[in-house]
Amino acid sequence: MTTSTELPDSGPAGLKSIAARALREERGALVGWTIGVVTFCLVMLSIFPSIHGNANFAQLLNAYPEALRKMFQVENYTTGPGYLRAEVFSFVAPLLLTLFAVLWGSDLSAGEEERRTIDLLLANPVSRRRFVLEKWLALIVGTLILAAALAIALGVIGPLFKLHVGWSRLTAEVLASWLFAVAFGTLGLSLGAATGRRGLARGVTTTLALASYLLSTLSTLVSWLRPVRNLSLWQHTLGVDPLGSGFHLDRIALVVVVTLAVGAAGLWAFDRRDLAT
Amino acid sequence: MVQVESRGPSSPATSPPVVHFDHVTKIYRGGGGVHDLTLDVNAGEVLGFLGPNGAGKTTTIRLLLDLIRPSTGTIDVFGLDSRRNSVAIRRRVGYLPGDLALYEHLSARDVLSHFAHLRGGPSWPTIRALADILELDLERPIRSLSRGTRQKVGIVAALMGDPELLVLDEPTSGLDPLVQRQVHEMLRAAADAGHSVFLSSHILSEVAQVADRVGLIRDGRLVAVERVVDLQQHAAHLIDARLRGTPAREDYASLPGVTSCTVNDHDLHLEVAGDLRPVIAALAASDLDDLSVREPSLEEVFLSFYDNVD
Repeated sequence: MTTSTELPDSGPAGLKSIAARALREERGALVGWTIGVVTFCLVMLSIFPSIHGNANFAQLLNAYPEALRKMFQVENYTTGPGYLRAEVFSFVAPLLLTLFAVLWGSDLSAGEEERRTIDLLLANPVSRRRFVLEKWLALIVGTLILAAALAIALGVIGPLFKLHVGWSRLTAEVLASWLFAVAFGTLGLSLGAATGRRGLARGVTTTLALASYLLSTLSTLVSWLRPVRNLSLWQHTLGVDPLGSGFHLDRIALVVVVTLAVGAAGLWAFDRRDLAT
Repeated sequence: MVQVESRGPSSPATSPPVVHFDHVTKIYRGGGGVHDLTLDVNAGEVLGFLGPNGAGKTTTIRLLLDLIRPSTGTIDVFGLDSRRNSVAIRRRVGYLPGDLALYEHLSARDVLSHFAHLRGGPSWPTIRALADILELDLERPIRSLSRGTRQKVGIVAALMGDPELLVLDEPTSGLDPLVQRQVHEMLRAAADAGHSVFLSSHILSEVAQVADRVGLIRDGRLVAVERVVDLQQHAAHLIDARLRGTPAREDYASLPGVTSCTVNDHDLHLEVAGDLRPVIAALAASDLDDLSVREPSLEEVFLSFYDNVD
């Protein structure tokens, strides 16, 4: 045993808080998801040069019914922003971010409870609120890393494939994706904290995230959905097309407020319940 | 309902109890829980909390730590309300869960240093010293550890902050007898230093070794609280002896401590309370073929003692 004498007053760095431990526990998964997101970007970007400015392709897409063009967001498909919107941000990239956030978020509190490690953890002088807040902080940081990987992959590698969108618009779009992911990750964390059941939190949250996406996307086609589409967080994040129109501070504020409210409700419920044996 | 206050002095009555359960009831939907529990843990004592599995021991302990909340009644720890002042209480409490679960992918060292950071507390040499006493290798990941070794990690986690109150749920389960004894010594040392220990077990002999007082819980109800010295004096031993000849009943029935004596051909059955030596001496002098001495189950001792006193 050589290590103990080298570290007289502390253990290994990085486990000084619950948030740090949560990030450490997720490290492997986060690396995997990052590789997945970057690979997806690479594949999509590598196809772009054959589409860029391809008039035949533009004609082909224009022959589609308007409804389909709207639904799949293929307007200006042969331009950089149009291509990114259709192939990356219309579904897959926000979905990857959201799935990561929901799977992890649902596990952050409920997983610790189901694995029964929470008993010993909360024997320390740590309030339940601090426990959930630190877990939430880890969720914020972890998803931010994945979102940053997405932005960097597109912003740095894109130009190599003649795809230029500009950092500002790209950041606005990635931010919107991240906000959507964090909102549902927070919902997963809150439901998990409120019930202690990870599977339930994952199931309900994933369903609601998909419903949110469908409500916003289908409302471009289905007129009777239009009055209720403001219930969809997708509508307020990616639905306002930040890639084309930049930051929408009012919508960002709205999503942040909803996310905080969901988190606060989870805290409130968690503070009041019996933890599972 | 049986009166549960302890008879006789257990600790100076001047200092207030460290833990005070006041008519605490916790009812679960599926049954179980604890009913109308009133119990004190005093400063400087080891209180053993004894009962079969499922009797309510773990529920009681988790109530104390605010992991679950009472349906009715209150719990004071260090004079503080267990719900409102939970964090302040837990700063001064060391806890070992009965169903210990640790972070599988971390090493024992990572787990313990993590908790030490959360406590703002024990220095690494303190942790190291405790681990050395228990011969615990801190570098291996938890997932590779045996049950007994995991239990050692839990014990170090509970003891490392030198807490004023130790709350231990079946602390020695999974430990070999040598380590059990070491743990008992550590608990006695904590009590001798004026700290309090609240310890659950379903094994009477374990509790008798380390505790000052014992509370018996059955079906969620506290049946009795007694001092261990009182119990030991009254604890009956059951002796079965087979002799070559036919034992004369009156030779044994009159021996000191014998409360019951039956003879069946070559077989002699005795119940002995208190000191065994006179009976053993008489048996040793006889033409003995076979001998067994067993302690009655904890329930038998406890309840027979309780019935006798009442």
